[in-house]
Amino acid sequence: MAAISTTAERTTAAAPPRGRRDANTKKLARIGWGFSAPALLVIAAVTIFPIVYSVIMSVSNVQLSGNGFALNGITGGNYSVLVHAAVWRYAVIFTIVYTLITVIVELVIGTCIALVLERLTAGRGWLMALLLIPWSMITVINAELYGYIYNGTYGVYQYLTGLVGLGHPVILGTPTGAIAGMMVADIWKTTPFVAIIVLAGLVMLPGDVYEAAEMDGASGWTTFWRITLPLLRPTIALAVMFRVLQAFGLFDLPYVLTGGGPGYSTNSLAILGYFAMFKNLDFGPGAAVATSTAALVLLGCLASLRVFRVQVGKENA
Amino acid sequence: MATVSLEQVNKVYPNGFHAVHDLSLDIADGEFMVLVGPSGCGKTTALRMVAGLEDISSGTLKIGTRTVNDVTPKDRDIAMVFQNYALYPHMTVAENIGFALKLRKMPKTDIEARVKETAEILGLTEWLNRKPGQLSGGQRQRVAMGRAIVREPSVFLMDEPLSNLDAKLRVQMRAEVSRIQRRINVSTIYVTHDQIEAMTMGDRVAVMRAGLLQQCDNPQVLYDHPDNLFVAAFIGSPAMNLYEASVTEGAAAVRVGSQQIDLPASVTTAHSGLAAFAGKRIVLGLRPEHLPASGDARPGPTLTGDVDLVEALGSELMVHFTIDAKRVQAEGAHDPDAEDVAAAGEGVARVDPRAPVKAGERFTFAIDADGMQFFDPETGLAIW
Amino acid sequence: MRTRKRTGWRRIVNGVNIAGLISVLFIALPLYWMTIGSFETPANLASSPPQWFPVPGTTANYSTAFSQYHFWIFFRNSLIVTIIATALVLALGTLAGYALGRTPMRGKFSLLVVLLMISVFPEIAIIAPLYLLMREIGWLNSYQALILPYTAFNLPFAIWILRNYFLGIPKEMEETGRIDGAGPLRTMWSIVLPQALPGLFTAGIFCFTACWTEFLMALTFNAQTNFQTIPVGIATFGTQDITPFPTIFAASVVAVIPIGILVFIFRKFVISGLTSGAVKG
Ligand SMILES: Nc1ncnc2c1ncn2[C@@H]1O[C@H](COP(=O)(O)OP(=O)(O)OP(=O)(O)O)[C@@H](O)[C@H]1O
Ligand SMILES: [Mg+2]
Repeated sequence: MAAISTTAERTTAAAPPRGRRDANTKKLARIGWGFSAPALLVIAAVTIFPIVYSVIMSVSNVQLSGNGFALNGITGGNYSVLVHAAVWRYAVIFTIVYTLITVIVELVIGTCIALVLERLTAGRGWLMALLLIPWSMITVINAELYGYIYNGTYGVYQYLTGLVGLGHPVILGTPTGAIAGMMVADIWKTTPFVAIIVLAGLVMLPGDVYEAAEMDGASGWTTFWRITLPLLRPTIALAVMFRVLQAFGLFDLPYVLTGGGPGYSTNSLAILGYFAMFKNLDFGPGAAVATSTAALVLLGCLASLRVFRVQVGKENA
Repeated sequence: MATVSLEQVNKVYPNGFHAVHDLSLDIADGEFMVLVGPSGCGKTTALRMVAGLEDISSGTLKIGTRTVNDVTPKDRDIAMVFQNYALYPHMTVAENIGFALKLRKMPKTDIEARVKETAEILGLTEWLNRKPGQLSGGQRQRVAMGRAIVREPSVFLMDEPLSNLDAKLRVQMRAEVSRIQRRINVSTIYVTHDQIEAMTMGDRVAVMRAGLLQQCDNPQVLYDHPDNLFVAAFIGSPAMNLYEASVTEGAAAVRVGSQQIDLPASVTTAHSGLAAFAGKRIVLGLRPEHLPASGDARPGPTLTGDVDLVEALGSELMVHFTIDAKRVQAEGAHDPDAEDVAAAGEGVARVDPRAPVKAGERFTFAIDADGMQFFDPETGLAIW
Repeated sequence: MRTRKRTGWRRIVNGVNIAGLISVLFIALPLYWMTIGSFETPANLASSPPQWFPVPGTTANYSTAFSQYHFWIFFRNSLIVTIIATALVLALGTLAGYALGRTPMRGKFSLLVVLLMISVFPEIAIIAPLYLLMREIGWLNSYQALILPYTAFNLPFAIWILRNYFLGIPKEMEETGRIDGAGPLRTMWSIVLPQALPGLFTAGIFCFTACWTEFLMALTFNAQTNFQTIPVGIATFGTQDITPFPTIFAASVVAVIPIGILVFIFRKFVISGLTSGAVKG
């Protein structure tokens, strides 16, 4: 056998074609496409086409007739209607503020619950199961339940505020009351979800880090701020992302609990878009609302990823 | 049963990394071929190309007389044992071993018989109904072997199959794998980074470094006549002592540090190439066993060093010493687990246990001149 | 597991624990109210001050929900739609997740990013064109009007979750399978799937929950009672003037039970699914 030793000789050898894929690899790749085709087709049929169509509709003149509708030419009109409509501007601000407040409150409370749960030694499983019930609950039921709790004449809330001497504040009848009440209902349903994500993150944190911190003489608070929280960053980012997305789509809760009212005080973007399209049959402006909402969601997502300096997982190659 | 031949096989990974260069290797029918080399030298890559799990960037791979570059792994009639065994955790030992047969739609009773027979060869009969999770490391290793054997393939491929075992079990399984291979007589390519494993198991050993084949021959030839510095330094434990040296005018002696070693006629004849290096620098190689005794007791060339440490092994003394010449390193050739011999002029000798050698004293070693090796410092090639 | 040393009463009574206890009460109380409300007579439930125990209790609300309000139909529809959609998601998602995780498809990473972006798209953005499309092909008021969109909307997340699970299975097992002669489907079925069961549970429970609770599409596409699901059904229980809370609560309790059981059995997988890193720090 020939023996070659110097590394210098390597450079002289002509480099063979890089990364040639032979029959085996090509076959595997074909199988891969075959396997994913059904899923991709279903997804494309139900999302890609409507997304594209929605965008087109939002820049078209939509004309309804008895047996259908037609797109008549391109127009920026739908968007200018939006920008000039106080309702839309209100809905944008409402949705953003609503999202910010609920997500922040949920994060704080959820983290507290997770910290408590983590230290529980008994009954943790049961408590987690309890937490999962609101998460898995139908939002419509959530809304009905709070409709009952806030009821002006026999609601539990009225009773409790009466007990502690706060009188009988009207909840769903005033804009501020309705918004606050809706936020509480939302926070009730989704905080447990945040708590569970954070708990799952907490459990995975390496224990020795805490021991090291204790050796260094860090107090409980310092440990929490300097170690726990930074380590939880990706987990919290995940929770925030899930929640921001959901909150931007806010529909079920106001639809059932307040109907968007009183006035349009709880009109979220989704409610606005839905009513525009399916009550008033204004498909053009409705599509513009829908499209702008989607754009906001994407922005919100990117922003929360940015804020938490987190990247979506790279290929694990 | 079949031969395997690689002709000018190259592997360039999609990221551009050239992992295997022009590898040519012929494995004879029934031969146990060991691929050895330091970590990252491309052994696994080469093996996976033979298995069909990795594309061959260029070159030809033949199993038997058939070119199999584009043949799927399952049609290559090979069996592979992975380092982590890759046992199916949800199947019992019997199911694991029998899975390949089941895929071939072999009748149940035949599968059972074959599994039973295989289990007997491997001493697994007791564990057939257990899941892999309930087995010890050694038992899992055997199941992995069993899964390969039961198929009666024409080629076995094994990628560091023993490296997850503890040292003692490894020695034991080393013998067992060899025994099984001999018994079923199937061509085998066995990858390891452990040169002792390579030497003890292989019919032939192919030494690789940085994607390049360095030398392929039977273990004794590799040991006695390494083709280059890398192989010299890589094979053998403790490693060969390699020093910077120079050949005197007339090529009758070499100078190592301040010492001059006269070369007997037998050496200058055997290494006639040395004449061309008269007055030039070379690398001198001396295996520890070629410094066997006190120089006072024997005639012939000697080497004198300061003794740092004497390890008594009973049958011999392992003497660590220092001389005033520079020790030569062959990049990547040293076992990171082995004792560090990197320092200036250190060396090791295997001396007769009765030799009067003491730590802290100066000692003159007899040189077994026929064991001397010489290398060109520029190319690293051996000088003959 | 880490330990923190605190002594005496401070170990039990501290800010965090109290906050936690209050939060747990905040979560549990409304559930309690819903449950006892379902056993109260309408008159009792509408009385002030509210009662803490349903005395005298009644199960009449349950029969009302089923007999008068077609709850049985809604329940059946929800089950059909949810189960079929979940099964489809798991079947298609497993195939696609495996392909995207393990085969050398070109451009699969871009595909995954596109999938992720689709999964964050709000329903409202596509509801109108989808509605028009359904109307065009005559799918309004049908099961497939919900099954297909539910499948599509839940697939991306399922694919991500399953792909992560598949990536965690040692590649060598599949390679052994390939060498031993297992075809791709066989490899998936006999080698990969048994080891990816936790991932399947996770994806399944998420999909089931999402389908069970979905409202907007169900409301838009299926206006006829015969094809309405529980959320839409319950939302239409009330009239302009009265909301029959006891009946709604009875229906709600029934609606919470299947999902409650599932979630309780598979709670481990919900949690592991939430953390099986689609996102890294
Ligand atoms: N998929 C890949 N893409 C790019 N480079 C790779 C890939 N796989 C391996 N390599 C590189 O190719 C070289 C050879 O890898 P290989 O796994 O064959 O080494 P090895 O000799 O088996 O080492 P070890 O003893 O550590 O197992 C390494 O430098 C490695 O980094
Ligand atoms: Mg390797």
